[in-house]
Formats: sequence, structure tokens, C-alpha cells
Amino acid sequence: MVKKIVLTLSLMFCFTQADVYESNCVKCHQGLPVSIDKYFYDYLLIYSGETDMKNAIISYLNYPAYETSVMPDAYLDYFGIKKKTTLSKEKLKEAVDTYWEKYKVFDKLK
Amino acid sequence: MLASKGSVTDFHQSERQTLYRFLSLYILLTVIIISVFSFIYFGLQKDLMLQDKKQTLQKYSKEFIENLKDLHMNFHKTQIYPRSSKYDTAIFDSEKKLIFSTTKTKLRLDKILYLEDKEIHLVNIPESYYLGAKYIIVKIKDDGLWLVQTKQKIMLFGGMTFLFMLFVGYILLRLFLKPMRDAITLLDEFIKDTTHELNTPVSNIVSNIEMIDKSKLDDSVLKKIQRIDIGAKTVSNIYQDLTYLVLGNEMTSNSEDIDIEQLVIERVEYFTSLAQVKKLKISSKIINNTILYADKFKISKLLDNLLSNAIKYNKVQGEIIVVVNDRRFSVEDSGIGIASDDISQIKQRYKRFNKSSGGFGIGLNIVSRIAKEYNLDIDISSKEGIGTKVSVSW
Repeated sequence: MVKKIVLTLSLMFCFTQADVYESNCVKCHQGLPVSIDKYFYDYLLIYSGETDMKNAIISYLNYPAYETSVMPDAYLDYFGIKKKTTLSKEKLKEAVDTYWEKYKVFDKLK
Repeated sequence: MLASKGSVTDFHQSERQTLYRFLSLYILLTVIIISVFSFIYFGLQKDLMLQDKKQTLQKYSKEFIENLKDLHMNFHKTQIYPRSSKYDTAIFDSEKKLIFSTTKTKLRLDKILYLEDKEIHLVNIPESYYLGAKYIIVKIKDDGLWLVQTKQKIMLFGGMTFLFMLFVGYILLRLFLKPMRDAITLLDEFIKDTTHELNTPVSNIVSNIEMIDKSKLDDSVLKKIQRIDIGAKTVSNIYQDLTYLVLGNEMTSNSEDIDIEQLVIERVEYFTSLAQVKKLKISSKIINNTILYADKFKISKLLDNLLSNAIKYNKVQGEIIVVVNDRRFSVEDSGIGIASDDISQIKQRYKRFNKSSGGFGIGLNIVSRIAKEYNLDIDISSKEGIGTKVSVSW
């Protein structure tokens, strides 16, 4: 009985963790013609390292601006700048960490 | 070194030591200078080779970046890292964390172009960080040809320079030593000429005194004749010493079995008149007679010098004991003695520690040279104010 409760709680925790990224990032990007991974590689092209890249994404999501966007001008002219995130500092960090883990290049090259 | 064995000119031990020290220092400095230049030349050749290979590495780097760019664009389709048989690569992010490498060797990012473990590395920073790669290392194998050629050139030119510097050193040494050699040559020539001129008159005086019938002389004349005899023997000894000193190297040796007992008795008798001047008691003590195979003139000269010194540096009414035993003889006096610090230097030519007793300071140098020629061991034990004992053994 206890095992079932622990397992249920663990699964719920995992889903909750995944949810921050899935429900707040993926959900919104699904409606766009450019898949979410493309943004990741555009950030990678400029910021290279994990720390710089995460800071840049968090900074942009908190304070979206033409100047700090990594997307091409034509894209920005057409789709515009996104709205400022409503996520808390912790939730935003969780979402960006999940994003990094999902698309990072380390251990993927063959 | 500069004074050949047969030459009249001969350098002191200390002068030879100075020469060897100068030569050692000169050779050491030459080696250091050649090493420094070799090191600089090696560094330059290495840089030249690296610059030569840089173009090739840049070409490979450009090719690799193009491939990396393609991979970046199509990363959702393929994750196969671009490879080449001509070169190895590695990519690092901005935090210098390794993203991927085709080699297992340890790589450095603190230099742009470097040679390590026989491989030439080029660190490149692309304009865009494809797949997050801020630092790209491209490396190729070093064929080592430049190293072989550089080593050969260093050996050749280093060796030639060393020989040239050695030749220059030899010339410099000759130039610097010329005044010293001239002084020694002048002194030797002077002694040689003087001794030559002294030979005939001294021989005449000694032989004529020996021919005088002393029983027919009154006491007053006998005393005068004895003084002349002592003076003539002293001059004769000095003459023989100087002759040996100057012509020692040119004298031929006629070795024979010498009866040491007989020789000691002869020489003690010869020096008795000299010893009487200081009222010295001179005696010989034969414990066991012994034979020495050597040139009699030279061994006689050795013994004469020991006796002469024992008389010269003795006190008035002192004592001299000559002891003969198996394969050794010794001369012991009750003279002024030698300070322990001076004993090691006393065999040097012209070295005198007591200038009140006359002489040239060549006596023990002659003893030392003769002993060296016949492998005789000289042992000097002395106490200041008590006396000196010189033992000769073989």
C-alpha cells in the first residue's frame, strides 16, 4: 500500500516537473511554424556554454526585446516579440533547465 | 701543457692547476654559449615549422567548420560528427568543456598553435558557435623531419663552433701565458749559463783541496782550508742542484742496484765538515741494509738535499740521525721544524718558509721530482721547534 502511494507521488512529481516546460513553453510554441528546438540551436550558435545560454534565455523571457532576441529580423517583423513571462523565478529556471537537458549537444554526437 | 716534457721551461703544479681551471672555465662557458644559441635556434626552427604547418591546419579547420555548420543545420536529422583521415578534431564550449573529440589525448586551449606529443595543434575560434563549439582544435601528426634536420645542424655547427672556440682558447692561453713563460725561461737560461760557468772552477777547488796533505799544515792554515772545503762543497751542492733542476729532464738515467748503507755512510762523511760549522752531531743508524734500483747520482742528490736541509735548518749543537731499514731510509733533525699548514706546499719549487737560512727553495722540489721518477714515497713529519723527519720508502 505504502509502495503504491510512494510510486503515485513520484509519478505526480515527475509530471509536475515536466509540466512547467511542457505546459508553459511547448504549448505556446506549438502554434508557431518554427519548432522549439530551432530556437535552442540559434541560442547555442551565439552563447555556446550552458551558463551563458541559460542566462540569455531567462533574461529574454523576463525582458523580451528586439535587441536581445536571437531570431532573424524577418521573423520578428512577422511574429513580433513575445510577452513577458508570468512564471516565477524558480519555475522559469526549471523550465529552462528542462529545455537544456532535452536539446543539449553533449553525449548526443556519434 | 704548453711546456713539453723535454723543454727547459717547466710550469709549477699551481700554474698547471691555474691553466686547467682556466681551460675548464673556458670550455664550460663555451658549452653554455653554444647550448643557449642551440636552444634559441631550436625554438626558431620549431616556430618556423609551426608557421609552415599553420596554413595546412587552417585549411583543415575551415573544411571542418563547414562540415560542423552542416551538422548544426541538420542536427534534428543526424548526429554523426564530421571526421577526416587527414586530421583529428575536438570541440569545446565557451566554458571549455569538451563537447566531442576524435582523439583521446589531453588537449590544451591556452595556446593557439603548439606541438605536443609529436602532434601539431591549432586552436580556432569560429565566427558562429556551431553546436555550441566556441573552440575548435584541429591536429595533425608531426613527421619529425624538421627535428632531425635541426638536430643535425645543431650537432654540426655546435661541434664546429666548439672546435673553433677551443682553438681560440688555445691561442689566447698562449698569449696570456707568454710573459710567465718568458720569465721562467729567462730564469732557467740564467741558471743554466751560470751553472755552466761555475762547473770548472768549483771542480778545481774541490779536487785541489782533496789533494792537499793536511797533516803538514799548521792549525791556523788547516782551519782556513777546512772553511774553503766547506764553502767549495756548498757551492758544489748548489751547482749540482741547479744542474739537476735545469737539465733534469734531459739527463739520462743509469739505474743500478744501490747499496743504501754505503751511500749513507759516504754522504754523511761528505757532509760532516758542513755539519761541524753548526757543531751538529751527525750519525747514521743502520738497522737493516737495503738495496734500491735507481740512478746513483739522483738518489745521492736526493739524500744530499735531505742532509743539506737538516744541516741548514738545524739549531747550533743540534743532532741529525740517518736511519736505514728495509726498503726505507730517513733523515731526522732537531731543527726549527715546519708548520703543519706548510708541509703540503714545501715540495713546490722556490718555496721557502725560512728566509734566514739562505738557499733557493729548490731542495725538496728536487727530492720530490726524483722520488716521483722512481715511485718513492716521501713522508714528512715535523713539529715546529722540535724537528723534522723525512722518510723515503719504496
